[in-house]
Amino acid sequence: MKSKFSTELTELVKNNVISEETALKIRTYYQTEQHDGSSKLFTVFGVLGSLLVGLGIILILAHNWDNFSRALKISLAFLPLVLGQLVTGYAIFKNKSGIWKEASATFLFFAVGCCIAMISQIYNIPGDLSTYVLTWTVLCLPLVYLLKSNAVAMLCIAFATFYGAELGYGFSAFPQVPWIYLLMITFLMPYYLRLIKTQPEANSTSLFNWLMPLSLVFTLGTFIKAYDSFEYLAYVILFGLFYNIGSLPIFADRKLRRNAFLILGSVGTVFMLLMASFDLRWSFVPETDLFLSKDLYVTLFLFLINASVFMYLYANNLLMRLNLFHYVFVIFTLLSFISFTLGLVTIILINILVLVLGLVTIKIGADKYHFGILNYGLLIISALIACRFFDTDLSYIVRGILFVSVGIGFFLTNYFMLKRKKSNVKISN
Amino acid sequence: MMKSTHILAIFIVVALAQLFVPARMIFNQETVVSTGTAYKFKTQPIDPSDPFKGKYIYLNYNVNSASSTTTAWKRNEPIYLLFKTDSLGFATIKEISKAQPNHTDYLKTAVTSYDDHTQTVWFSLPFNEFYMNEHKAYDAEIAHSKAQRDSVSNTTYALVYILNGTGVLDNVFINDIPIAEYVER
Repeated sequence: MKSKFSTELTELVKNNVISEETALKIRTYYQTEQHDGSSKLFTVFGVLGSLLVGLGIILILAHNWDNFSRALKISLAFLPLVLGQLVTGYAIFKNKSGIWKEASATFLFFAVGCCIAMISQIYNIPGDLSTYVLTWTVLCLPLVYLLKSNAVAMLCIAFATFYGAELGYGFSAFPQVPWIYLLMITFLMPYYLRLIKTQPEANSTSLFNWLMPLSLVFTLGTFIKAYDSFEYLAYVILFGLFYNIGSLPIFADRKLRRNAFLILGSVGTVFMLLMASFDLRWSFVPETDLFLSKDLYVTLFLFLINASVFMYLYANNLLMRLNLFHYVFVIFTLLSFISFTLGLVTIILINILVLVLGLVTIKIGADKYHFGILNYGLLIISALIACRFFDTDLSYIVRGILFVSVGIGFFLTNYFMLKRKKSNVKISN
Repeated sequence: MMKSTHILAIFIVVALAQLFVPARMIFNQETVVSTGTAYKFKTQPIDPSDPFKGKYIYLNYNVNSASSTTTAWKRNEPIYLLFKTDSLGFATIKEISKAQPNHTDYLKTAVTSYDDHTQTVWFSLPFNEFYMNEHKAYDAEIAHSKAQRDSVSNTTYALVYILNGTGVLDNVFINDIPIAEYVER
């Protein structure tokens, strides 16, 4: 504890501001707090250290020491793996602290990848990157639960996502649907749910809150291949689902920056709708194949999950009635199916929808006195106008006036909110 | 809560699996090298690299197509190749088939394309990466093109063992000298 703080406490006790007992309580509180903080820091450094050593070993062995015999090269490939296993086994056997477990598990994670890569190098086994990453990740997935390792769990999410994208988008070979990616994410789900339940405030949980939805955003496209229309619809439903998940009390009661689901859901929804506001590429043209495709089942599955989260929010009075973000998935689904008959009217409706979403966001920002949300709302409207800048025949004067008015809007709304906030503070004082 | 002895027991199983995968890779490759048939494939190396496995030379083989009059081939369809040796000792195609041959020295790979007009099926040999010391991979590519320029009789070839569909690339030679040694000269 800082000595200045300690002297202050003695001073306060001396002047009868606080009792001796309270001073003691404060001291003990800060001592445990400091201990927790430093152990977290050690864990971070331990994991970073293992990560760097692991990557370093991969690079050193990748140099390819061609004057070594094959047997020696094989032994060197196995050395980090066996070493990592022994240290990890020791950490489990002696039930060592979290730092030990995190650091040894991270090292072992890289040792596994390193060993497989080296054997491939020694025998010139040609690289199928997705199979390599899959084998590596599957061999390390159990470490997440056995060592309760956040670092390995995050690495597994990142590698599983890479596998899904590599195989699904076919970066280096013919694209295939990465079903095993779903299995890996499902396997990690109980771990993530436990973290949300037991340590909702932890920084590591916030990181997971970002990683999980981002992973799904990156890979959803690999499950929907055949039809553009389903790609748009599935993404709008996914972002709508994120928004609704982010509105659940377990996330909504935390700080906004920790609520990745809400942020991603909102930004993603606006982005998709802006994309859809250009043309009718996402409109459904009735054909039988379309309604029997895998794309339909994936989209339907997402819709049903979103609908159940929505019902839960509704049943528990957690919906903000005017907040259209909750309902976008239903509106867009309807528009997708009727756009075939309505044609260009749908495009106009989409533009109105984005405008309303912007206004709703401004209202939420104003109600909460949150400048970030308020300006985000204004940004949505600006983005909509910017998009229309490219594809409308409006004259330069009209477009110019629109921009000037939104710019003035930015100044005025911020100014009035600042004024309101100040007067509110005065009243409460 | 699970007891730490139980966790340790599961960990040992996981650790054994982690050891088993690379060990099985070694076993499979060693079986092909010790019992497979050796062929020399004429090739041309170029120099890319892999983030995990290091530098390698990518081998473009002269054997990459065969004429096929009987059936049309689809992309990515499996194709079985049987080889013979020409008068100079290099591998050429003896036979191709859609079904697995009865011999043991066949190679399994995938069709890259089929040209209806010339009735030619194209494929790539799967052993096309040869890992080298990071300072030698680029030199190997240069050495190969230099050797090609210097004389017509110069040849670069890969020594490959083939068994039951799998090919293991043992070494790459320029004029019968292992490429790593050739680069050092």
